[in-house]
Amino acid sequence: MWEYVTERADLITFQAVQHVSLVVQCVLLGSLIGVALAVLVYRNPTATALANGVSAVGLTIPAFALLGILLAPFGFGITPAVIAVTFYAALPVLRNAVVGLAGVDRATVESARGIGMTRAAALLRVELPLAWPVILAGIRVATQMVMGIAAIAAYVLGPGLGGFIFSGLSRLGGANALNSALTGTIAIVLLALVLDLLLVLVGRLTTPRGIRA
Amino acid sequence: MPETASAAAAGTAGDDRRISGVPIRLEGVTKRYPGQDRPAVDDVDLEIAAGETVMFVGPSGCGKTTLLKMLNRLIEPTSGRIHLGDEDVTDQDADQLRRRIGYVIQAGGLFPHMTVATNVGMVPRMLRWDKQRTAARIDELLELVGLDPAVYRDRYPRELSGGQQQRVGVARALAADPPVLLMDEPFGAVDPVTRQRLQDELLRIQEELGKTIVFVTHDFDEAVKLGDRIVVFDVGARVVQYDTPERILAEPAEDYVADFVGAGATLKQLTLTRVGDVDLVQVTTAVAGSPSAEAVAAAQAAGDDFVVVLDSRGRPISWPTVAELTRTTTVPHTVDERLPVVGLRSTLNDALDTMLAASQGGVVVTGRRDGLAGVMAVETVMAAIQRSRTETAG
Amino acid sequence: MTAAPEVRAGGAPEPAPAEETARHADPSAAGGGGWRALLLQPALVVLGVAAFLVWRLTADLSDTEARQLGWGVLGDSIREHLALTVVAAVIVLLIAVPLGIALTRRPLRRLSPLVVGIANTGQAAPAIGLFVLLATWLGFGFGTTVVALVVYAALPVLRNTMVGIQGVDERLVEAGRGMGMSALAVLLRVELPLAVPVLLAGVRTALVLLVGTATLATFIDGGGLGVLINTGITLSLDSLLISGAVLVALLALAVDWLGRVVEHVARPKGL
Repeated sequence: MWEYVTERADLITFQAVQHVSLVVQCVLLGSLIGVALAVLVYRNPTATALANGVSAVGLTIPAFALLGILLAPFGFGITPAVIAVTFYAALPVLRNAVVGLAGVDRATVESARGIGMTRAAALLRVELPLAWPVILAGIRVATQMVMGIAAIAAYVLGPGLGGFIFSGLSRLGGANALNSALTGTIAIVLLALVLDLLLVLVGRLTTPRGIRA
Repeated sequence: MPETASAAAAGTAGDDRRISGVPIRLEGVTKRYPGQDRPAVDDVDLEIAAGETVMFVGPSGCGKTTLLKMLNRLIEPTSGRIHLGDEDVTDQDADQLRRRIGYVIQAGGLFPHMTVATNVGMVPRMLRWDKQRTAARIDELLELVGLDPAVYRDRYPRELSGGQQQRVGVARALAADPPVLLMDEPFGAVDPVTRQRLQDELLRIQEELGKTIVFVTHDFDEAVKLGDRIVVFDVGARVVQYDTPERILAEPAEDYVADFVGAGATLKQLTLTRVGDVDLVQVTTAVAGSPSAEAVAAAQAAGDDFVVVLDSRGRPISWPTVAELTRTTTVPHTVDERLPVVGLRSTLNDALDTMLAASQGGVVVTGRRDGLAGVMAVETVMAAIQRSRTETAG
Repeated sequence: MTAAPEVRAGGAPEPAPAEETARHADPSAAGGGGWRALLLQPALVVLGVAAFLVWRLTADLSDTEARQLGWGVLGDSIREHLALTVVAAVIVLLIAVPLGIALTRRPLRRLSPLVVGIANTGQAAPAIGLFVLLATWLGFGFGTTVVALVVYAALPVLRNTMVGIQGVDERLVEAGRGMGMSALAVLLRVELPLAVPVLLAGVRTALVLLVGTATLATFIDGGGLGVLINTGITLSLDSLLISGAVLVALLALAVDWLGRVVEHVARPKGL
């Protein structure tokens, strides 16, 4: 196993960077989409219910099924992988952002408006900061989840560590099959934990001091 | 009159009332927690007479709650013996023991997924009473704590107010008619007005039943009001003073007790005096629905400027002025939600609080079955304060 | 637990949901309005099934496609998929619920953070990696697939069982013991009934997770609807691929809906 890893250190590093970069970029994009949608809907009960429905239903769709569906219009490659990963990243963020924004005390928002803040200013300077811990929790869930989904994306020739798992699968019984699958799996687990720790750190640094737990 | 019987005379407390409680005796009860130098409860000896209400007071962390929980062995004593009546219960099966001891905690501790009736019927069911007996007992108990069984039997706890939940908690604890009732700060979570009502209820119930009650509180006024005796604890559940409220107020055993009782000791006399102990004013009454003219005439004849309106069961519901009544043809049925009411067992302190809360110069006093007992004016309270100040000064 | 009418994310009692939230399929926010939301979802499923049937009956299919999408083959695939899901779910329940209960009892309580920690780390493992690794050890087939599914879906049930029981107000347990209920009676009559909403949310999460993850069974010859998708991908037959994907998604939605209905019905009154 160790030999296997050292021999392929370059390839593993390359794929790990690819994997993380896919996940990080998609999570960033997904978070923006999720928060933006939440901002659009959270004041309207019907739209909120709809958004909650979308995130709940969306998360029930199996990743492999969605990748399959995306394959038809986009073909093999990075496009279906990016779309699928972003899709799954956006849903938990959307859900948590709606919960977080709805949880901000109305009186606080009113007092912000009362001292002359515009709608946008109140949103940016009061509501979003107060909802941030909940939103960030959604981002953590999203990140953990799409680390695994990105592995499946390798099957439709997306980049990343999933390739080691599938190459292990295709050579099952042969030399290095186990090593290959183990390398992919463990690397993903480790990177997921590292990313989660980083997000905890981000949380520490970005949560307003007054509402820190 | 039972209301005026002095709780100070230990032996006499039960002379004219039924006692269904048993005495409790603690011998050298100790609780040590591993890893702590000092025992939480250190070698406590205590005797509690049958049918008495004994209040445990002391600073938080003094071990009073630990001691209470050792009585029903929610906490097992490290050493020492506990006797209920003639029995040594220290080594009895704890579950069996607890079914014979009522236990009331803050907010009632009701099970939210069970109806009021199911909650109250828990212990009878565990004791395998038959269904009819259990059902009858549930209704009887709900009546006892002042809840109409037909209305409340099938409700869930969250459909009740805090005070009502607490009443159900008391009913549940009394379900199997246990001789002993343990209460752990039961009225800590309700508002002052409700708390006062619940305290009055408890006094009434206790008068009827004569249980042995051990009651933990951090509120010294509550201890003075409810207790036949008070135990003042210091750290390690050291018994600093165990005496009647009157004597603790008059002769605190140590500076510690004096500090704990506080500088308001003069005013604490207000807590010692019951509304039933002072002279009440009898006023003109009228039954709702009767002709207003008669009531007005009666009031004018007696020289009263207001009339207390009673419902068909004799319970006061409002007290309109004569001027207000003359504008009506029949005495209105309207229930005045803000009518200040206290019971005979309420303290002058409660009465004063109630008057202040309602911004009224007097309160309506009710006796048995919430019937009218009279009216008390704020001057009566003032006179009592004046009296106790002169006594203290002298 | 609050008396909020809806199940909170992952059954975690607070709306700081995500910390304790199950990943992947999330049982959160059943949508705004109780039964209204419960009716929307099956409507969506029925519509989807109807659309699929219409397409299947009218589409112009090649021989291979027609063979793969034959009613018998489709039926078998769905049956296999459900069998994987149900067998794994039953095993998960039999293992995770008792284990979750045991980890909240006094003797084992100290172990619970450790177990949750290990389980959380394990959850970060990609499902496909788990499938392949187990296959190198246990070989291909139905059995291995079930083992992989069980390992993967046990966590939400385990965690929600524990969170549910731990979420029961300590004072209610004390009240129960104080009136003379045995520890077992308190567990059965107070703790478990009050933990039911959270526990069931975990079960639903697990079920949805199982339906989705069972698509990967195709890679280790475990059968199910994933075969359709995989065949579609390898043969470049979009009709197969989309049929498989749509059917799995509909199945997941249907299972999720069933779970919601059960949660709605089994929720103890008075909460």
